[in-house]
Amino acid sequence: MADDRGDLLQGTLELLVLRTLDFEPMHGWGIAQRIQAMSSGDILVTQGSLYPALVRMRRRGWVKSAWRVTENNRRARYYELTAAGRKQLAAERAAWDRAASAIYRVLDARALPAGA
Amino acid sequence: MTVHDLFEQVRHLFARRTDERELDEELAFHLEMEQQARIRSGVDPAEARRASHIALGGVDRTKEDVRQAFGTQWLEQLVADVAFGVRMLRRSPAFTTVAILTLAIGLGATTAVFSAVNAVLLRPLPYDQPGQLVRVYQTVVTQPNGRNFVTPVHYLAYTKRMAAFASIAALGTYDREGADLGVGGGVARIRTFGVSSGYFDVLRTRPALGRPIDAGDDFGAHEIVLSHRLWAERFNGDSTIVGRAVPLDGEPYVVTGVMPADFHDLIRPDVDAWKTMDLTPGRDASNYNNHYLGVIARLRPGVTVPQAQAELNALSQQLNRQYDQTSWRATLYPLKEDVVGGSGHALGLMFGAALSVLVLVCVNLANLLLVRASERDRELALRSALGAARKRLVRQLLVESVVLALVGDVLALIVAQLAMTAIVASAAGSIPRLAGLSLDGRALGFSLLLATMSAVGFGLLPALRGGRTDPNAALRGETRASTGGVAPRRLRNLLVVVQVSLALVLLVCAGMLVASVQRLRDVPLGIQAANVLTFELHLPDARYDSTARARFYETVAHTLETQPGIRAAGGISKLPATGPYNQWDVTALSGPLAHDHERGGVIAEERVISGDYLRAVGMRLLEGRAFNASDVPSAPRHLLISKSLATRIFPGVDPIGQRLRTAGLEGEVIGVVSDVALDGEGTPDLYVYHAHTQFAGDRNWALTQVVATDRAPETFIASIRSAIATLDPMLVMYQPTPLSDAIGRGESERVFVLRLLTTFAAVALGLAGLGLFGVLSYGVRLRSREFGIRMALGADTGAIRRGVVGQGLRVTAIGLLLGVAISLAVARALGALLFHVSPTEPRVYVLAVLFMALVAIAAAYVPARTATAIDPRTVLQ
Repeated sequence: MADDRGDLLQGTLELLVLRTLDFEPMHGWGIAQRIQAMSSGDILVTQGSLYPALVRMRRRGWVKSAWRVTENNRRARYYELTAAGRKQLAAERAAWDRAASAIYRVLDARALPAGA
Repeated sequence: MTVHDLFEQVRHLFARRTDERELDEELAFHLEMEQQARIRSGVDPAEARRASHIALGGVDRTKEDVRQAFGTQWLEQLVADVAFGVRMLRRSPAFTTVAILTLAIGLGATTAVFSAVNAVLLRPLPYDQPGQLVRVYQTVVTQPNGRNFVTPVHYLAYTKRMAAFASIAALGTYDREGADLGVGGGVARIRTFGVSSGYFDVLRTRPALGRPIDAGDDFGAHEIVLSHRLWAERFNGDSTIVGRAVPLDGEPYVVTGVMPADFHDLIRPDVDAWKTMDLTPGRDASNYNNHYLGVIARLRPGVTVPQAQAELNALSQQLNRQYDQTSWRATLYPLKEDVVGGSGHALGLMFGAALSVLVLVCVNLANLLLVRASERDRELALRSALGAARKRLVRQLLVESVVLALVGDVLALIVAQLAMTAIVASAAGSIPRLAGLSLDGRALGFSLLLATMSAVGFGLLPALRGGRTDPNAALRGETRASTGGVAPRRLRNLLVVVQVSLALVLLVCAGMLVASVQRLRDVPLGIQAANVLTFELHLPDARYDSTARARFYETVAHTLETQPGIRAAGGISKLPATGPYNQWDVTALSGPLAHDHERGGVIAEERVISGDYLRAVGMRLLEGRAFNASDVPSAPRHLLISKSLATRIFPGVDPIGQRLRTAGLEGEVIGVVSDVALDGEGTPDLYVYHAHTQFAGDRNWALTQVVATDRAPETFIASIRSAIATLDPMLVMYQPTPLSDAIGRGESERVFVLRLLTTFAAVALGLAGLGLFGVLSYGVRLRSREFGIRMALGADTGAIRRGVVGQGLRVTAIGLLLGVAISLAVARALGALLFHVSPTEPRVYVLAVLFMALVAIAAAYVPARTATAIDPRTVLQ
C-alpha cells in the first residue's frame, strides 16, 4: 500500500483544503480557485495533486462528497468537512503554528544561545 | 488502517467502474470551469481550451495518481491471486477434491472436538463468580481420594463453624430421586432434587417467580421450587401456581417459586423440581455415622481453596474428638472440577487425536503439493522468467493453499456439525455439560484460524520450493531428470515417515482402548446382568404406609414370578455395580473383633432388598439362609452380609449368628452372600443387606425392581406393566431398562473415547496409505524411462515390483519405528482410561504395526504394478 502520510507539501495541501472547506462545501475546481485567491495567487493547486489528496482525505473520513447542482445548473461533486475533518483541521493548524513559530524563532535569533 | 478506511477500500473494490466514471466527470467539470474562467477574462474559446489543457497537466497522470490514492492495489492483487488460484485448482480436479475432502475431515474433526472442549472445560460454570464454588466431601484416612457424602451432623457443624464459607447448602444424594406429581389419572413421575435453603444462595440465583426455599424451611416444611420446563409443560406457565400447594407423593407441597428458563442445574441436570430437605434433629439428622448429604459451598471473596481447606482440616479434627472418631477428614474440590471430573482428561486426549489427524492431513497435502510443484516447474519457471519476483510466486502458491483450506473449512463446518451430533449422542451420560453443544462464534473463529494455520503449515514448504525454481534449468526440462532428484525425494519420504508414525500412534491408542473395553466387559461383577429388566416402582406415602409398602413389594415380586418366562423377581434400594449409595460404619459386636473400632470397624454399603432379589441378579447364598416371611418388623433384626465383610469383621469364626451395629441399629447375621462389585469397573466393596419387610418403616425406599427373564428383557415390559396394573392401576412403571445398560454407564466414557479414537485412527491409516501411495506413484512416474529401459532389456517384472514395494516398506519401517517410540510415551497419557492394560502391552503394538504394514503393502503394490505395466515403446520414443 502506498504510504500516504505526507511530506511537508502534501500535508500542507491537505491543511489548506481543510481550511477552505471549513467555510462551506465546495467542488474541486472551487477549492483550487479559492486557495489561489486567498494566497493572492502565490499558491497554485494543480488538479494532479488536488484530486489524489481529496481521495486520501475521504478515505480517512475527514471529508465526504456528494453530487450537487451548481448555481449555473451543472452537476459537480461537492466536498464537505466531517466532524473528524474539523478536528483534524484544528490539530493540523496547531501543529503548523508550533512548527512555524519554532522556525521563526530560529530564523530571527540574534545570537547563539549561551552554553550551546 | 481504520475501519472507515477498510470500508472505503472494499467499497472502491466493488465500485471501481463508478468511481472511474465519476472521476472522469469531475475532471471534465474542472476543465470546463477552467475554460469558462479564461473565456470570461476575454480569451477566445479555442485559445482558452488550449491554455486550460496546458495549465491542468496530463489527465491520465492525474487519474493514475488518484487510483494510487485509493490504495487498493494490494486488495486487487489479492483478488487476482485468488482468482488465479481458483483457476489452477479447477484445472486439477482430482488433487483439489482429495485436498478439500481430507481438509474437511481434519478441520471438521478438530473443530467438533474443540467445541466439546469449549463447552465442557473452557466455558466457566453458568453461575456468578463460579471460582468461589466448592463441593465438600468426607474422606477416610485410608482412602484420601474417596468422595464420601457428609453426615448431617458434620454438615450442620460446617454451616455454623466454617468462617471461610459465605454460604453453604446440603443436597440430597439419592441417585434418582423421583416423586409422583398430581393425583389420580394425571399422575406423573418427576425428578426431584432435595436441597437445603442455602442452595440458590450459593449459586447466586433466584427464582424468576416467587421466592427460593427460606432458611426456616429446612426442618420439615413441604415446599418445592419448579423448573421452568416443568412449570411451562405441566402448569401451562400459570403464575398463580406460586403459593399454592400441589400433591407430591400424595402430600401437599407449596410451590414457592419458579426458576428462570436459563437456569441450569449442573449438579442434577435433569431435575424437574427442587424440594425441601428435613434436617430436623432426631432420626437421620442427628446421626454422625450416616453419610447421605452432598454439600456445596461458596467461599468468601478473597478466600482461597487451600485457606478454606486448612480451616476445614482443623474443624474435622475437632469433630473427630467430639464424636470419638479418628478417621474422618473432609476435602474441598472446586465445583467445576467436581462437575467435569475425569472427562477433562478424555477430552484432552480427543483433542490431541483430532489435531494429529489434522497434522496428518496437512503432511499429506504438503506431499501432494510438492509433487504438484515439481509438475508445475515449467509454469513457475516461465512466470519467473517473465519477471515475477520470487516473493510474488511464493505468495501466489500460498494463496492457493489458503483458498484450498478455506473451501475445506466450509465443508469442515458440515463435518463438525455431524461429528458433534455423534459426540453428543455417544457421550450423553458420561461427559457433563455437553447438552448445549453447538457451533458458536468461538468455534467458528477457531476453525478459521486453524484453517489458515493449516494452509501455511502444508503450503509453506512447497511454496518456498516452488518459488525457488531455476527458470534456466526448468525450461530446458532438466529438473524432470530421470530419477526426480535426491533432495525433493528425501523430503517427500520424510513426510511419509511422519504420516506413518502419527497413524501408528493413533492406532496404538485405539488398540489400548479396545483392549480396555474388552477386559472391562470380562471383569466379574458378582452378578448375572444378562436378561434382567429393571424399573422403578414408587409407592406414594399417602396411600401406602410402611406395612402396606412392605407387603406390596413382596406381592409384586411373587406375582411377577408366576408369569411365564420370568425366572425371579425382587427389588433393591440401589442397583448393583452402579456406584455408592448409602454408606454406614459397621462395628462387630461379637466375635474376635467385638467392639474393636480400629480393626472391627469398617464402612459398608447398605442395601435394602425385597422379594427374591438374590436370585434375580444371580447372587449366591454362601452360608446360612436368605430373608423369608419370618423376617417381620417385630422379629429381631436379621442381616445378610457379603463374603468379604464377613472375613473382615468376623475373622476365623462362623459369621452366622454374629452380631453387628450399622445403619443406626443392631442386628444378627443370618446369611453370607457372594461379593458384588461397587461399579462397572469391578471395584470391590463390602455390603450389608436389610430385609425390606423389616426395614420398610425407616423410610420410603422406592425400591428398584429387578426381574430376571429367559430372553430379551425388553419384550416383557408390556406384560409386567399390565401385571402391576392389576395390583394398583395408579402406579407408574418408571424407566424400564435392561440391567446391563444400567451398569454399562461405567464404561460409557471409555466407549465414547474409543469410538472417536477408532474413527480417527481409521482416517489416519487411510491418509498414511494415501500418502505412501502418492509418493510411490510419483516416483514410478518419474522413473518410467528407467523402468521402460530395464523392461526392454528383459528385467524380471517381479524384481521391479519388489524394488518399488521395498522402497515403500523401507520408508514405512522407519515410520513404524518412530511411531512405536512415540506411542510408548503417548500411551501413558491414556492413564485412567486404560483398564487392566499396560501402556506397553506388546499385543497391541504388534497388531498395530502389522495393520499399518498391511496398509503400506497395499498402498505400495498399486504403483509397483504400474511400474511393470509400462510399455517400453511409449517411454523410449
